[in-house]
Amino acid sequence: MSNGGWLKTLLLFVLVFALQSTAGEWLQILGVGPDFVVIFVVSVALRFGAATGCLWGFLAGFSQDVYAPVEWLGANSIAMTIVGFAVGQLEEHFLTLYVPAKIGVLALAFFVNDMFYFLITGLEKDVVTNLFFTKTVPECLYTLIIGGILFYLSSGKKSDV
Amino acid sequence: MLRAFRFIVDLFTQRHGVVAFAFFLVLGILMHEASTEVRQSVVDKALSTVFYPVQLLISSVNDFKSLQAENDHLKAENARLRQETYHASEGLQELARLHTLVRFDDKWDFPIVTSRVVGHNPGRFLTTLVINRGTHHGVKENMPVMSMNGLVGKISKAMLTHSRVQLLVDPNLKLSVLERRTRVVGFLESVDGHLLSAMIPSHAGVAEGDTLITSGLGGIFPKGIPVGTVHKVRKADLDVMSLMDVKPFQEFSTLEEVFVMQKDPDWIIQELLDE
Repeated sequence: MSNGGWLKTLLLFVLVFALQSTAGEWLQILGVGPDFVVIFVVSVALRFGAATGCLWGFLAGFSQDVYAPVEWLGANSIAMTIVGFAVGQLEEHFLTLYVPAKIGVLALAFFVNDMFYFLITGLEKDVVTNLFFTKTVPECLYTLIIGGILFYLSSGKKSDV
Repeated sequence: MLRAFRFIVDLFTQRHGVVAFAFFLVLGILMHEASTEVRQSVVDKALSTVFYPVQLLISSVNDFKSLQAENDHLKAENARLRQETYHASEGLQELARLHTLVRFDDKWDFPIVTSRVVGHNPGRFLTTLVINRGTHHGVKENMPVMSMNGLVGKISKAMLTHSRVQLLVDPNLKLSVLERRTRVVGFLESVDGHLLSAMIPSHAGVAEGDTLITSGLGGIFPKGIPVGTVHKVRKADLDVMSLMDVKPFQEFSTLEEVFVMQKDPDWIIQELLDE
């Protein structure tokens, strides 16, 4: 990744941070909203590979950990690092992924992230089951819709270039 | 210097990022396994030096300061009046029962600090907010935080110009509540950082739609602040208790302004907190 690439990704990260804090709330339907941070980590990992995916996954997770209960510090960082690394194995430099495949990767990343998060925080089984159906599944579907639109728009932009 | 940087970048990108993965994973585990003091210090430093300035900048984009001051003043007054109205009806109920209480309103005589929410978790599990008022403005740890609709949480960490607010959905915040109709006391908590649940004795007959307010027993929150309504009643592990899903009066993700009540914890609680 070039110096310009780092700077662009940093600006994008700040933008995603702002977007999640503002648009993330406006777009909520019955308390269910999209997760722009997961979309960001998946996009960066697909574009630049596992090492960069790990770095931005860690930073994105840490930015969430700072506002979480202090006992859970590190849970988001670890979960997002795992997502960044796993998704980074499908780096677009080596593979060509079409939009439906990217949406599939996003869905897997979303579930992997939540599962590791629940595992690390040590929540009880029935609490996790409840959260899975009331939060993970609906928010994953919403994120897939938003992510799909963003992936489609970005793929169109690339093919134009 | 450049060589060292290149060496690190090369090292991290080796073997499809395995080195970078191991590094960040170990860093995450170290943070997770660190002592509470270390974790608190990491969070405070990151919040004060990086996240607070960035979120302050983001939240200031639409900030029209000339209108803000007047708006803040009016909202504080409105919040106080609404709370006082709510409290007055509480007082009437209590007065009718006890006859002896005549100076009930004294406990609401706390100054209010208006503050703006400048930051919160850019993720899906919202348990903490950051507000733009700190010790410089008279905000201290454990002061109650509310909105015009009801209780929000308490100050968990006060810094010079900003503070962290621990929301009701934070699993570490447990709260003594009183059901308004039956006057029975229970406690409220969130086990998953998402939903609020209350544990109340079954014999009281608390039903869906009943209102929960602060009981004043914990020593941090004064009595009578509206908390939420009972959304669903479920059976708890113990037959004598009922577990209730609670819908808070205030939706936390849409908060823009909050009011900090400048109330110090009762002396006995303060002693426990100091210990």
